[in-house]
Amino acid sequence: MLQSVRLFGVAMAILRDRDAASDAVHDGFVKIARRAAQYDPDRGAAEAWLGSVVRHAALDIARRRGREIPTDDATLGDTPVEADQLETLASGEDTVRLRECLAGLPEKNRQGILLAFVHGLSHPQIAARLELPLGTVKAWIRRGLLSLRECLT
Amino acid sequence: MTRDAIAAEYVLGTLEAHEATELRALMANDAELAALVADWEQRLAPLQDLATPEAPPPALWTRIEATLDGAAPEQARWRFPWPAFGLGASALAASLAALLVLRPPPAASLMTVLLTSTDQPAFLVEAQRGEIRLSALNPRGVEAGRVMQLWALAQGATAPTSLGIVPASGRFSVTPQTIRPEPGMLIEITLEPPGGSPTGRPTGPILFIGRLTTAGSS
Repeated sequence: MLQSVRLFGVAMAILRDRDAASDAVHDGFVKIARRAAQYDPDRGAAEAWLGSVVRHAALDIARRRGREIPTDDATLGDTPVEADQLETLASGEDTVRLRECLAGLPEKNRQGILLAFVHGLSHPQIAARLELPLGTVKAWIRRGLLSLRECLT
Repeated sequence: MTRDAIAAEYVLGTLEAHEATELRALMANDAELAALVADWEQRLAPLQDLATPEAPPPALWTRIEATLDGAAPEQARWRFPWPAFGLGASALAASLAALLVLRPPPAASLMTVLLTSTDQPAFLVEAQRGEIRLSALNPRGVEAGRVMQLWALAQGATAPTSLGIVPASGRFSVTPQTIRPEPGMLIEITLEPPGGSPTGRPTGPILFIGRLTTAGSS
C-alpha cells in the first residue's frame, strides 16, 4: 500500500472530509520537511512516526473545528471500531500484544480508547456515543490507558 | 493526573486544544516528558491501521511542494547541519520517505538517493519526463573555493554528462538536452573548482553517488 493512501486514511478516519484530511496531510508533511517533527529510529518504525505526525495534524484541525462533528455521524456509525476489527491488524509482535491487552479491557473502556485514537472523538463525544456520563468516560479511559501500560510492560 | 497519564491522553487525542498546545511547549524543554509521549506513541501506533486506507486527491502533492518552495525563511533551515538536530541516517531516510510517499503513482518516475562514502543519505534525485530534480536531505557546505557539480552517466556511456552546479540551497531542477534519465543511470556529485570542472569531465573526488531506479509503490 502506498504510504499516502494509508496516511490519508488516518486523517479521514478523524476528519471524515477530504478537504480537511488533505489539510492534515499537508500540515504534517510540511512539518516533517521543516524538521519541526523529529524521528527517533530507536522508537519504532518510520511508518508509525509518519502516521503519528499526520494524526496529530488531523487532531489539531478537529480541535480547531471544535470537534463539532456529530457523534451520530452516519459514516462513523456505519463503521464503528469494534473489538473484532482488531483481528484485522497486522500480526507483528507489538500489534499482537496490544491487541491482547485491549481485549482484556472492559468493552466500553476499549471502545472509548478506539473511538478517541482512530476517530479523534473528544471525551464529551465519546460519552454521548457510549451513552455514559462524562465523568465515567474520563475515568474509564484513564484507567484503561493505565491497564494497557501495565499489560504492555 | 500524573505526567504519564497526560502524555497518554495527548497521544490518544483526548486533550483539549489548549492542553495539547501546552504539552507540546513543555515537551520542547522536558526530555523526560517527551520520552513519555514517545513511549505512548510507540504503544498505540498499531491502532493507526484501523483507519480505512483512502487515496488522497492527486493535487495534494503539488500543494505541499508549493508550500515548501514558497517558504523562503524556512529554506534557510535546510542548510543547517543535521547533527545539530541530533538526527541520524534513519531519520534522513524517514524524511525522504515522507517526501516521496505522497507522489501519485507516476507512469515512469525514477529516483535514487545519493549516498556518501559511508552510506549516509545526502541527496534525493527524482527524474520524470526528462527532468531531473535534486534536493538535499542533509545540506552541507563545501570547503571554501570549491563547488559541487552534478553528473549523470548512462549505462554503457564512457563519460558522464554535467547536469550543472549544485546551488547552496541543495535544490535544483534540470532538463538535460543530450541525455534522458533512464533506469540504471548513475548520478554523482563531485567536488570541483569554482564554475565547475574546466575539462567537462569530473576532476575532483566523488562525494555522493547513486543509481536511478524506478520509483514505485511500496
